[in-house]
Amino acid sequence: MALSLMEEDIERLGRTMRNLLERSEADGCLLCDGGGYVLSQEGLEQVDPLLLSALGAGVFAASRELARVLGEDEFSAVFHQGEVRSIFIRAVTADVLLVIIFSRGAHAGLVKHYAAPAVAELKTAFEQVAAREHRVPHRERSFVLTQNGPLFERE
Amino acid sequence: MSFVNFAKREVQLKIVYYGPGLCGKTTNLQFVHARLGAQSRGNLTSLATSQERTLFFDFMPLVAKAIENFTTRFQLYTVPGQVMYNRTRQLVLRGVDGVVFVADSQWNLMAENVESFKNLEENLRLQGDDLEKIPYVLQYNKRDLPEVAPTHYLDFVLNNRGVRRPRFNAVATEGNGVFETLNMIARLVLHRFVQAHSRQAGAEEELVLV
Repeated sequence: MALSLMEEDIERLGRTMRNLLERSEADGCLLCDGGGYVLSQEGLEQVDPLLLSALGAGVFAASRELARVLGEDEFSAVFHQGEVRSIFIRAVTADVLLVIIFSRGAHAGLVKHYAAPAVAELKTAFEQVAAREHRVPHRERSFVLTQNGPLFERE
Repeated sequence: MSFVNFAKREVQLKIVYYGPGLCGKTTNLQFVHARLGAQSRGNLTSLATSQERTLFFDFMPLVAKAIENFTTRFQLYTVPGQVMYNRTRQLVLRGVDGVVFVADSQWNLMAENVESFKNLEENLRLQGDDLEKIPYVLQYNKRDLPEVAPTHYLDFVLNNRGVRRPRFNAVATEGNGVFETLNMIARLVLHRFVQAHSRQAGAEEELVLV
């Protein structure tokens, strides 16, 4: 069954993410799930969110394996530091990740500091979404296929 | 598990190309990338070794208009085929909506095909999925090589369940069978997605698969 985020969910997640960006002075962030889907994004004009999500989920999954090798349950965060831009990934729930991109002007400590309350808010939001998903969904959630022939044509 | 963003009117679906090492999974994606219009696809990203063997995965997003009032995004992944990378295959399979199993048609690689297929079933089972309930198609690749098993033998070995799955002969290096395979798995995945939502929503309107 699909995970569904409604307009109000996206708005709520967006508020938390915008607040995080404002406080931490990070460039952008996104939420993705462990399968690599982009759930929501803010301020990522210069980065392909689909690729960031796929790779971020992969990196985090690999770090979980590393943790296992070391006898840890998991690493709750992953940090990659670059010359100009860096990336900080934190688990929100068992299956949702927060990926934050920030530049040299922002302090890593500040990003990590403000990520903590943001993650708590986001976690609450996803728990409420999960609880709602167990109820009977709205009628508007039915879908109709429209494509007649092959979806993808070879050029 | 698919994902629906109602704010953006967008559905995301994940398709994984699975199969033994060097069977042509990456070649499938490379051909799609080369021959599909830029408006329908994103970049192909390969995390490969220096010998161009897939280390982690290949990834390519596709976009289509297939569901009324929604944009449909397919995320295509390949897994590393080499036996030692099983944990990586498990990670890539997370949340999968549909599978393309690419088999190498050469006689001397039948054992690798069977092992990889069993590995797919096992890895799905470990994450709580059941291959019987997931849309999948088979692609018998490398049909241009001299020592290949006949299609009916590959069916006997890999497509031998009660309900036979769609299968395609292919020469992925030349593109033969590549788009046919892609279009079939996309169709099956969409069909399952719409069916699941219609059922859950309790909608009495008939499922439309055109």
